[in-house]
Amino acid sequence: MKKVLKNNLVGIPRAISYYHNYPFYYGFFKSLGIEIVLSDKTTTKTINDGSKYVVSDTCLPIKVFTGHVINLINKGCEAIFIPSIQSTGYKINNCSKIRGLPEIIRNVIDKPFTMIEPTLDKTENISFKDFCEQTANAFGITDKQEIKKAIDNGWKIYNSFWEMTKSGVSYTDALENAINGKIIKKTVDIVKPISVAIMAHGYNLFDERISMNIIRKLEKMNVKVYTSLNVSYNDSISSIHSLGEIQYWANELELTGTAAYYLLNNKVDGIIALSTFGCGPDSLMVDEMMYHCKEAGMPLIHLTIDEHTGEAGFITRIEAFTDMLLRKKRMHLDKKSFDSKEHIQNKKIVEIKKEKILTSSIK
Amino acid sequence: MNIVKKLEQKKMENTIPAKDRIIAWPRMGRIDIPLKALLLSLGAKVVIPPANSNEALEIGVRNSIEGICLPYKLNLANYIMALDKGANTLMMFQAPGSCRLGNYTKMAQKTLKAMGYEFDMVIFDMYKSKMKQTLHAFWHVTHCINPWRYYKGFSLGFNKFFAIDTAERLLFYTRPRELHKGDAEKCYNKWLKITDETNSVWKAKKLKKQVIEDFKKIPIDKNKKVPVVYLIGEFFVLLDPYTNQNIEKELGDMGVEVQRQIMFGDWLEHVLKPSFFYRKESHRERSVRYAKKYMKRAIGGECIETIGDTVYAAKHGIDGIIHISPFSCMPEIVAQNILPKVSREEDIPTLSLVLDEQTGKAGYITRIEAFIDLIKRKQLKKFNNM
Repeated sequence: MKKVLKNNLVGIPRAISYYHNYPFYYGFFKSLGIEIVLSDKTTTKTINDGSKYVVSDTCLPIKVFTGHVINLINKGCEAIFIPSIQSTGYKINNCSKIRGLPEIIRNVIDKPFTMIEPTLDKTENISFKDFCEQTANAFGITDKQEIKKAIDNGWKIYNSFWEMTKSGVSYTDALENAINGKIIKKTVDIVKPISVAIMAHGYNLFDERISMNIIRKLEKMNVKVYTSLNVSYNDSISSIHSLGEIQYWANELELTGTAAYYLLNNKVDGIIALSTFGCGPDSLMVDEMMYHCKEAGMPLIHLTIDEHTGEAGFITRIEAFTDMLLRKKRMHLDKKSFDSKEHIQNKKIVEIKKEKILTSSIK
Repeated sequence: MNIVKKLEQKKMENTIPAKDRIIAWPRMGRIDIPLKALLLSLGAKVVIPPANSNEALEIGVRNSIEGICLPYKLNLANYIMALDKGANTLMMFQAPGSCRLGNYTKMAQKTLKAMGYEFDMVIFDMYKSKMKQTLHAFWHVTHCINPWRYYKGFSLGFNKFFAIDTAERLLFYTRPRELHKGDAEKCYNKWLKITDETNSVWKAKKLKKQVIEDFKKIPIDKNKKVPVVYLIGEFFVLLDPYTNQNIEKELGDMGVEVQRQIMFGDWLEHVLKPSFFYRKESHRERSVRYAKKYMKRAIGGECIETIGDTVYAAKHGIDGIIHISPFSCMPEIVAQNILPKVSREEDIPTLSLVLDEQTGKAGYITRIEAFIDLIKRKQLKKFNNM
């Protein structure tokens, strides 16, 4: 513990809770005067390193997480931040593997390092403030005023990050600017023939290795992509309720919430569900969305990935899906023009996009 | 907030008048015997779905999603079979915050309604104020207001649970030691039948004693050196003999004594009894105490029990651990990750078996046999060193 204090350095693995909460962590640790060391971006080596330590049934994100911890240890990091986020609301629990992250890491990695393992469990009355205090206490900081200031600073950066992403700024840009204390706004919105919403965990979607850069790939195919970052908390929770469901999983907002919001708003032409093999919560949430999409007539594709997924097959499936969406839309618009007897000469999709922008301008 | 409340009410549907209800519940091991006694004494009509089998599993697999765990598939099959047999009310408990179990009922309800069945689903929450919830659920399905009947039902149910548990424990003890193969099994089946037929509280209370006396009559070889193995893992898989491919019998026939820490009666007593009546240390509390070195927090499911029991076993001279879990069970995967370290540090052999609908029995038995050989050799080594 003394060593940690001397260095005042904390390692944060670039996995699991990093993807949504890093802006907060950054502001919080910076205000406390603790420097952050991030692990390198996920590569195949990270996955292989992680797979060596855990049993084969473990899901891909946990393997990636373990790989990142190994990476941090190799970098010489002595204190590693591994939070256990048990529940984010009364009876709203997380997946067992995320709840037990510190337990897994403690027992599989046999190397000397200090683990900072705060618990957030709102079902058992361990609030977010306690979570932050536990973290600060691990570094020997007990001054409540200082911790409160750090929390406020964390929220500030977190909020500006979310403000940017909601306006349509991409994840990486938003993260970079939020950390630098800037707020940018997306002014020009490029019109694209079709748009899809991706329902996936942040740690799968924004990890370029795990998701195989699906967002970039889709944008290259001229598809507008909406993710959980574009939907606010209130919107997603009310969408879940209006579908007649209740939130059960802590990260349900990223999946069911996002998909439900776009399904109800009719903003998108299709939904892509991206999940890793053997994911427990996903198996239920995707099925739930499949049921609702079937009723509403919304196309949904379920892509399952694991460490062996080949990129070529992955691209083919996305291409087939977007082609199908395009054809469906064209057919729909043809029919519409016949009905209203407004003969549209140019059937090119680009023309019709204007209608789309009017009905669904972003923000 | 209103929506949430409305959804909460969905848990106890009320479309069928109480007197027309025909009640069914999913099967797990022998819980049908005590539950039947309880519901019959409350004046309800019941339907018992056929025991889990390949046919049931096939029905379940056909109608459920790909990624869900094995217990759900069997539960769904039980519901379908019961509805086909004429049931119109389905009962199930749920425990939010444990794992996917909290979503089982919601999923089953949706799937069955989509299949065109008409029924009421009655769900009782096992999170807080369990006894109140349970009583409310039973009142809801039967509309019985006679307290004597409740007393009779619950006491019959509990006593039958304890009798079955005792018989099971004695069966595990006797099977590897019996002189004539099959005696213990025969005795166990006989007592299951008698337990099922018992209809008065007075007789039910004596069951446990009678079972013990009857098992004592079976001739056994008391001096036989029998390796003792703990069976731990996921709740459903442990308690359902079809799902675990009757591992207890296989082990017993190999001459191994099985001990199981999770018994349905014990669990139910701990869950339902108000805390001021329940004075002994519960299984969970003991597990938390023993698992402290490896786990600092409970993470849902039976993960902490698995680890705690392993450490407990190592400290009490048990020869080995067999850990069974359904495929893709989230808490048990965490346990699987932790077990190798526990095994190394506490010096106890462990074997993790993952079960799903594709599990082949031959490969499964080979692994168990190899494990038992290892245990026996280890035991021998210990004796030689002494």
